[in-house]
Formats: sequence, structure tokens, C-alpha cells
Amino acid sequence: MKLWMYVVRRLLILIPTLLGLTFLMFILTHAGGTHILIAEYLNPRLPETAKNAATQAIITRFHLGDPIYVQYFYWLWPVLQGDLGFTITPIPLPVTTAIALFMPNTLMLTIVASALTWILAVPIGVYSAVRRDSVLDQGVRVSSFTLYSMPIFLIGFILLVGLGIYIQPAIGNVNPALLPQLRGTSWFDSTISVSYPTHILFFDAALHGYWNVAWDALVHALLPGLSLTLALLAGIIRILRASMLEVLDQDYIRLARAKGVPERFVNNLHARKNALLPTVTTFGYLVAGLLGGAVVIEYLFNYKGIGWWTTQAFYAQDVGAIMGSTFVFGIILVFTTLLLDVLYALLDPRIRY
Amino acid sequence: MATIYEKKGRYDDLKLSSKVFFANKSAVAGLIIFAIYLGIGLTMQLAPGLLGVQDAGLAANPACILQSPTCAGLLPTAPSSAHLLGTAQVNGIGDVDLLDLMMKAIRVDLALSFFIVLSGAAIGTVLGVVSGYAGGLVDEAMMRVTDIFFTIPYLVLALAVGFILGRTLENMALSLVVVWWPLYARYARSLTLSTKEMTFIEAARASASGRAKILFRHITPNVLPPIFVQISLDVGTILGIFASLAFIGFLPSTANVPELGYIANQGLTWGLIGYWWTVVFPGIAITLFALAVNLMGDGFRDVIDPRRRS
Repeated sequence: MKLWMYVVRRLLILIPTLLGLTFLMFILTHAGGTHILIAEYLNPRLPETAKNAATQAIITRFHLGDPIYVQYFYWLWPVLQGDLGFTITPIPLPVTTAIALFMPNTLMLTIVASALTWILAVPIGVYSAVRRDSVLDQGVRVSSFTLYSMPIFLIGFILLVGLGIYIQPAIGNVNPALLPQLRGTSWFDSTISVSYPTHILFFDAALHGYWNVAWDALVHALLPGLSLTLALLAGIIRILRASMLEVLDQDYIRLARAKGVPERFVNNLHARKNALLPTVTTFGYLVAGLLGGAVVIEYLFNYKGIGWWTTQAFYAQDVGAIMGSTFVFGIILVFTTLLLDVLYALLDPRIRY
Repeated sequence: MATIYEKKGRYDDLKLSSKVFFANKSAVAGLIIFAIYLGIGLTMQLAPGLLGVQDAGLAANPACILQSPTCAGLLPTAPSSAHLLGTAQVNGIGDVDLLDLMMKAIRVDLALSFFIVLSGAAIGTVLGVVSGYAGGLVDEAMMRVTDIFFTIPYLVLALAVGFILGRTLENMALSLVVVWWPLYARYARSLTLSTKEMTFIEAARASASGRAKILFRHITPNVLPPIFVQISLDVGTILGIFASLAFIGFLPSTANVPELGYIANQGLTWGLIGYWWTVVFPGIAITLFALAVNLMGDGFRDVIDPRRRS
């Protein structure tokens, strides 16, 4: 089977998955009763006399009198046209705007965390496998096993309390006092605090030469990024070590050693490249999970990413935001998985579909 | 033929299994720690007085405010001989002994983790085995349904389920069951598919065994042991997830239930300005349990998988 046919087949499977996801989330958020949605959209400052009419207007606007599956189609139609509705968290906004506001911060965190993870995991995992059963290998295995068992909030809290005095500022995503100097620049939309062209403040500020803003954004992402790194590291090292050990056991490695290739070349050229293959996919899945799974760390560090937004929406009973964020998570995860599978097929010619 | 079977004693399998398990030192250590947790949980359930706790129910006793108004808003105190792990402030009520509180929490957390994993595994295994064995359209539909659950991060899905159910401890457990069963469905399905292709199933079919008999007599006994190992590994994982969910505020701050993540969440208010023990100790309790369970689960895996025995 050709690769493109596989991709088309996978894309076709995505359609029912995404529809099912939105339907499930719609049922979950709307089955609680119409009062949640009415409370969200009703202006609390309206006088009592006007409230009835306003409630009626909301009911007709969202078709709340219809059965729930009919309401779903009324929700789906604008979504297909790119309109995800409205949210009240943190201020009344269209959901798409809120996502444009929060998603870049999560992206920033993901970039920092995945870069740190890769930089740390590859040498540790390879070394641990090459020097199998040495003191260092034992140490790596014990500490990665412990890290693997730690709840992520403990990792984050220990880093925050332990390193928070050295790496300042630790909480939040950027110092708001720095933002006024960006107002009026052509690349910063000060009304909703979104920057252009990458939307990630660090890169945009660096591109336009605002080094103090870029540095501040980077420092803010450092501790939460490091916490996520420590949480991911254990899994990656474990897989990398296992696949490295497997590769080192192969005949071609023995041949390379027998013909006198220096140990350093055997390990770094012959073995490592092949050992990295399965690691890349696992790493990819973990990063895809990070894009939506950093909820706990974003909450702890008050880092205003999409996970933080979801928790706030949960407290505020904000139907629009929950629907919007889960839809975005679903799309991200589904497409990243597809991309990874294709990438893996391209990297490893042994894979057939 | 029959004599060969009779030569083997009834408990020989068990003897061999326990020999393999107890040869693994770290697995035994895991088992001991697990037993201690279980002991604390059971004591708190049956006779909390034995461990010096009066009431195993609430996190902070609201009566404290009535008896001594000074309890309200009292700051946590550092670990000392009177309070081995220090005191915490829960739901605005201070002077709560952290060790007592954590023992209360272990009872609740253990019970709910077992509930989540066992019910998730029961639902998932049944659906997975059936869909794997039936194959065809049923299987395809089943897998598309589980796909849906894998497209959202589990914490977010649990939050969304909590949205409709309401923010209580029981609903937190229910929402994690919703998140957890697809994992078991996938696992049980893949185990069923690989078992289905084995020669002994073909032999059973050749000797005119019915579909139901093959399913219950031949496939299920081969699928269950790896599932049990997975359950033993997941009890530790789910405790961490459960606590994380409470930590990000699934339970309202007035919930006043003994739960490790909720205690850490309450401790966070003071934890960041120097009162670290209210977050770190509950976290360590979770880590220790997860560590013990992982070690123990590895031991069980050695028992059921002869290839891993050294």
C-alpha cells in the first residue's frame, strides 16, 4: 500500500473520531441542564423585569428547547465555519480569540520542555546503556524510577520552592509591566495581548529586538518547562536505554567492533542512530500530550496556557471554553499522531502499510 | 494422559510463582510498603482509635472553630515532636495534625483508586475481549469509540465529566472510570487478538468447541493474568492522577474531605511562602505508594511471563 493512500485512509477515520469527540463533549457539557448555559450568557446586572425576556432570547438563540442532539447540530454548523462560540473566562471573548491568546503560551512551554528533555535524555540514555550495570547506570535507573512515580505537582512544587529564589520570576508567563512598551508597535495587539507573527511572545520580541521582553518570557517558561522535563525524562530514558541495549546486541555492531571500529564511533554512529528511532515516536506522543497535558504545571505556576484556561473554565462552569479547548486538544492530538506515523514511515524504510 | 496432570500438585503453580516473586528483592520491598499502606487504610476504616485518630471522616473538624475560635486561620506549624509531620490548615481551619490527616486520606485514596481501577478494568476487559473476539464491524466500531477517548488529555476529559456530575469526591472517581476503561479495552483487545491466532485455539475449534466455550474456557484465562498485572501497576498510577485532579481544584476548596491531592491543594496557599511540608508530605506519600506498587507490579510481571525470569 502506498503511503499517501494510508494517509488518506487515516484522514477519513479522523472525521468520525472528531465528530464523536465533539458529540461526547457536547452531551457532557449540556446534559447538566439548560440553566448552566443560561447563567453563562445572562447579564447578571439586568433588572428583574428584563431577565425573563433575556432568558427567552438565550433559549431561542441556542435552541435550548430542542432535543440535545438537535442542539448539537446547531452547535456544529458554526464550528465548521470556524466559529467556536463565546467564553466568559477570563473575560467575555470569542473562543477562537481566547485560544489565540493562550495556545502560544502552551506552545512556548512545550518547546522549552521538549528541547530540555531531548538535550538531557539522549546522552543519559545512551551512556546508561553503554555502561550497562555501572554505578552511574544504576543511579540513572533508580532516579528515573523514582521520578516516574512522583506526581507532577510534587516535582513542580519542589522546583518552585527550591529554585524559585534563584530563577526569578517563577510565576506567570511574562511580567505585565513590560507590555506597555510594546503598545503601539506594529506587531503587538495590545487589546488582547497577542503578538505577531508567530504569536509566541518570546520569538516575536526577539525578532523585533525587544531583548528584555524576550528574556523575561524565557525565564518565566524555564521552571515550568524544567518540571515537565523531569516528568517526561524518566519515560524517554527508559525507552532509549532499552532500545540502545537491543541495538548493541545486533550482529552488525559485533561486526563493527570486530573490524576494529573505535568504540566511540560504534556507540555514537552505528548504534545511536538506530536506537533513536523508536524513541522519536514516543517522544512525539509525549510532546503531543504536553500541548494539552500541562494542566497541573500551568495551574501550579499560574502559567497562562490552555491548560490553565481549562481549569479556570471548569471553575466558572464555562461551557463554551470547555467545548472549545477539548475540540482544539482533539485536533492537535489527532493530527500530531498522524504526522508522527507518517514521519516514522519515512524515517524507517522497514515499516510497511 | 490423565496421570500426567495428577502428578502435579494443586499448589505447585502457586509455589513456583511465589518463589519467583520472593526472589525479587525490590518486589518484596514494594509488597511490604503496599501492605503498610493497606494496613493504615484498613485500620482507619475499622478502628481509627488505634492510630490515635478520633474521626476518620472529615479533613478538618469544623467543631474546632466552635470549641476554640483560635483554630480558624491558624498558620501551619513545622514538624515537631508533638506533630511529627507538622500541622496544616484545611478549609480555613488551622491546627490540623498532618500525619493524622494523611492517614485519613490514605484510607480514602486507596479505596477510590481500587474502585477506579477495578471498575475501569472490568468494563474495559469485557468490551475489549468481546470486540477482539467478535471482530469485524463490532470491533471497528469499538475501536473508533475508544479512539475518541484517546484524543483528549485525561485530566481535561475528567474535568469535563466532572462538569456534569458535580464537584464531589465520588464524582471524581466516576469521572476517572470514564477516562480509564478505554485503556483496558485496547489492552484486552490486543491480548485477545494474539491469543485468538494461537494453535491451541485452532485445535479447540477443530475439536468442535463452540464459540462461547472457546471464549470462556480458552481465551479469557489467557487474557486475564496480564490484565491483573496491569491492574496492580495502575493502582499506583491512578492514585497520582487522582491526587493531581484534586490538586488542580476538581474539589471545591470548601470540600473538607481527607484526600492527598486536596490536602496538597489546600497547603499550596501557604506552601509557596515557606510552609512547604503541607504540600511535600502528601506528595511523598503518593510517590512512595506509586513506587511500591510499580516495584510490586514488576515482580508480578516476572511471575506470569516466563521469558523475564532470570
